Amino acid sequence: MKRSQHLVGVVLAAAALIGITSLFGNDYYLRIVFMMCVYYLCAAGMNVLVGYAGQKSLGQAGLFAAGAYAVALLTTRTEMNPWLALVVAAGISAVCGVLIALPSLRVKGPYLAMVTLAFGIVVEKLVGEWTDVFGGAQGIYGIKALTWDGQPLTSLQWVWLGIGLCALTHLLLRNLLQGRFGRALLSLQADEIASSSVGVRVYRAKVIAFVVAAVTCGIAGALVAQQNQYINSDFITFHLSIFILLLVLFGGAGSQYGPLVGTVILTAVDAALARWPSAQHFLYGFLLLFALYVMPGGVTGLFSKWFRRSTEAPEVSNTAAAPTRIGPEGQGELLVVQGVTKNFGGVKPAQNVSFRLQRGHIHALIGPNGAGKSTMINMLTGLIDPTEGSIEFLGQEVSGRPVHSICCMGMGRTFQNLRLFAELSVLDNVMLGRHSRMTNGFFASLFHLPSAMKQEAATRARALQLLDLVGLLHLAHHPAGSLPYGLQRRVELARALATEPQLLLLDEPAAGLNPQETAELGQLLLRIGKCGVSILMVEHHMDLVMSISDHVIVLDYGIKIAEGKPAEVQANPRVVEAYLGVDEPEEVLCAA
Amino acid sequence: MVEALLQAILSGLAVGGAYALVALGFSITFTTTKTLNFSHGEFVSAGAFIGMSALFLVLGLPVTSTTFGQALPGAGAQLLALAAALGAMGLLGWLLYAIGVRPFAGRPGMAWVMSTLGFGVILQSIGLAIWGPKPVVVPGPVGDEVIRLLGIGVRPQELLTLAVAVVIMIGFDFVMNRTMVGKAMRAVAANGNVASLMGINTNAVMIGAFVISSALAGLSGFLLAPIAQASLFMGLTVGLKGFSGAMIGGLSNPRGCVIGGFVLGVFESLVNLWQAQWREVAVFGLVILVLAFRPTGLFGKKLVEKV
Repeated sequence: MKRSQHLVGVVLAAAALIGITSLFGNDYYLRIVFMMCVYYLCAAGMNVLVGYAGQKSLGQAGLFAAGAYAVALLTTRTEMNPWLALVVAAGISAVCGVLIALPSLRVKGPYLAMVTLAFGIVVEKLVGEWTDVFGGAQGIYGIKALTWDGQPLTSLQWVWLGIGLCALTHLLLRNLLQGRFGRALLSLQADEIASSSVGVRVYRAKVIAFVVAAVTCGIAGALVAQQNQYINSDFITFHLSIFILLLVLFGGAGSQYGPLVGTVILTAVDAALARWPSAQHFLYGFLLLFALYVMPGGVTGLFSKWFRRSTEAPEVSNTAAAPTRIGPEGQGELLVVQGVTKNFGGVKPAQNVSFRLQRGHIHALIGPNGAGKSTMINMLTGLIDPTEGSIEFLGQEVSGRPVHSICCMGMGRTFQNLRLFAELSVLDNVMLGRHSRMTNGFFASLFHLPSAMKQEAATRARALQLLDLVGLLHLAHHPAGSLPYGLQRRVELARALATEPQLLLLDEPAAGLNPQETAELGQLLLRIGKCGVSILMVEHHMDLVMSISDHVIVLDYGIKIAEGKPAEVQANPRVVEAYLGVDEPEEVLCAA
Repeated sequence: MVEALLQAILSGLAVGGAYALVALGFSITFTTTKTLNFSHGEFVSAGAFIGMSALFLVLGLPVTSTTFGQALPGAGAQLLALAAALGAMGLLGWLLYAIGVRPFAGRPGMAWVMSTLGFGVILQSIGLAIWGPKPVVVPGPVGDEVIRLLGIGVRPQELLTLAVAVVIMIGFDFVMNRTMVGKAMRAVAANGNVASLMGINTNAVMIGAFVISSALAGLSGFLLAPIAQASLFMGLTVGLKGFSGAMIGGLSNPRGCVIGGFVLGVFESLVNLWQAQWREVAVFGLVILVLAFRPTGLFGKKLVEKV
């Protein structure tokens, strides 16, 4: 097993490091190794936030401070056991992590980076100026160190503890990231809208990433405070925040060993330049300015091409027995849309539109450009709230619900302009589709419990089946973005099917396909329909629409002008008028 | 009590003027290039120190000195220093755009956040190597005599800051809305590709945006130095407050940014009157409160992502 090999490797590496450090007689070197451990903890958590979730945080020093001052106050003001204080400090940092994540609900990108920066500065000011509590530049003395057998740890023991914690953090985060949560975080970095539409709770995932980064950073701060038995406001600077971010970016954000590489190199350089602080800062600035330009993937990115993952086709264990049933059997109304109206200022892409979708049917939504078809799909899936009217899916009101919960109810969708997670493999894209159907929680993933393993294996098997269904099995390990356009459409279809939808919404599935591919798509959709999935598709290819759909709805300028069987709709004069215009009387044309 | 309040509001308006200049700088680069200068704060400090070293040079003191002693620069020297600060900062802005923003513009992942941040760190460490961390008392161009107005004492430099800020804002508003240059900038802001198809040199406009934005940062540093002493660390908080002002007003709306800057200055000054150590917390609390209800600021346009 790969995982057990990795575990043995990490344990051996940690043991070797512990052995080597025992030979150091010199406290100075031990101190450097200890600081490497501390910074690795910060960087490992930060990698989850920056490398996976794609959220830039410039305020990690604030979280470092939360951990450090928590142990300081807990062990000096109360008689708390230092080990317990360390745990409580981690908890307090986690709370601060939630606090710093709150703005991420509303703001994104550079705004969020600036808000986190502000958080760091506020904490820096607070510990510097609120001297009654935090001691300011004088600091807090007499912090109780961690003890072993009633004795404070020696420098060597501190290093051992640090190495042990780092190994543990590495293993736990690896568990977390190589599975449901890692995929979800990567997906929200790539595209939040697509991510929520496959059932990822985007905001919750962000909070988890912030909390992971906060806890590791808080523990690091607490360790520093306990080892020094002293903390003051000089520890908490903006440069610390930048340094922590740099560890990850320099080493390689989003790579498993990037933080380790970054930490070892930069901490060593930092120690070598410790006598010239301004040269130190100059170097950080220089690295920030040019490192990403020269090596966008960090140091590990430079070497990653030597460790390419295999792109061979995976084997499907039970292709023959594959049960492709997705939705339940049955008849009746699946979706009822009543009086839905949407105004974007003066534009009205939907005016009092009502229709009903039957279970087991293939429905088509057609109309000229600008008729409001995509807007309708976006309202059904919750990306846009209707101004008026109600949308009932399986007897429950949909409008006003968050996107991911509508996905969980059983509505899957594809997008008009493909929204695949381009960097992720085809297989990962499809496995993400099943995110909402997996039940393993955060801690099950973190500790790699059997339940999480089972879920992961089931999801993988299911995703492979679906890839087989759309005929892309041989491309499973290729990055989705590298596929030709027509195949990307099929990946998106498989991803939507992986959400186990009862209703599948397809926004122009045949756009950009040639006639041959369009015909194949038609066959595929019929096969999907037989698996118990009802379909509503927006489409311009009339031959496709007329050949496979059971029921056609026609929109024009936001108004439903016709619906019925394909043949009825084709014969409807209003539809012809909407598409082709009215015949002007002959003489008017001549006059013009 | 009323005097204290008036005093706080007036000095708040003066500092708010500096924030508004910074906020405007953020708004200019954000609307035209969709990037922000994360080292804007260091640019504020740089403006103060470049102005200061120009004064040293005029007075015949070495550039690396850290005190003016008894020397008092005249009005001519001050104007010269102002010109030097604006010019040098404009050049720095252009340099920042060329090496820190342009290579990353349009690439995903906000690498420009890091590069602009790095640029600022470099500036600061150069400054530290030359002048050290100690703040320098800089004489103001309009003297340091306190003026009595309706029973409250005002420093002339505060009035000057306020006046300059207001004049710059009005001038900027005029240029943006009434001249061809302003129209070109707004066109690039609205859609760079279309603007370049219309024959607008978008690259030049973007360089211009960074030059103006940096010059504004330098100006606010130059104006603040006599009020609060020139320090290499003064910029970080000024830059952040300026950004906060811009967020409150709405980054995409220059007028909103200016109003946000002034509001923030007055708010901060009033909190300061009540409890000094909660100043920063209150200011950023206000920002988060505004963002919670209006994510794009009070006067910003709502962002709609097309699906």
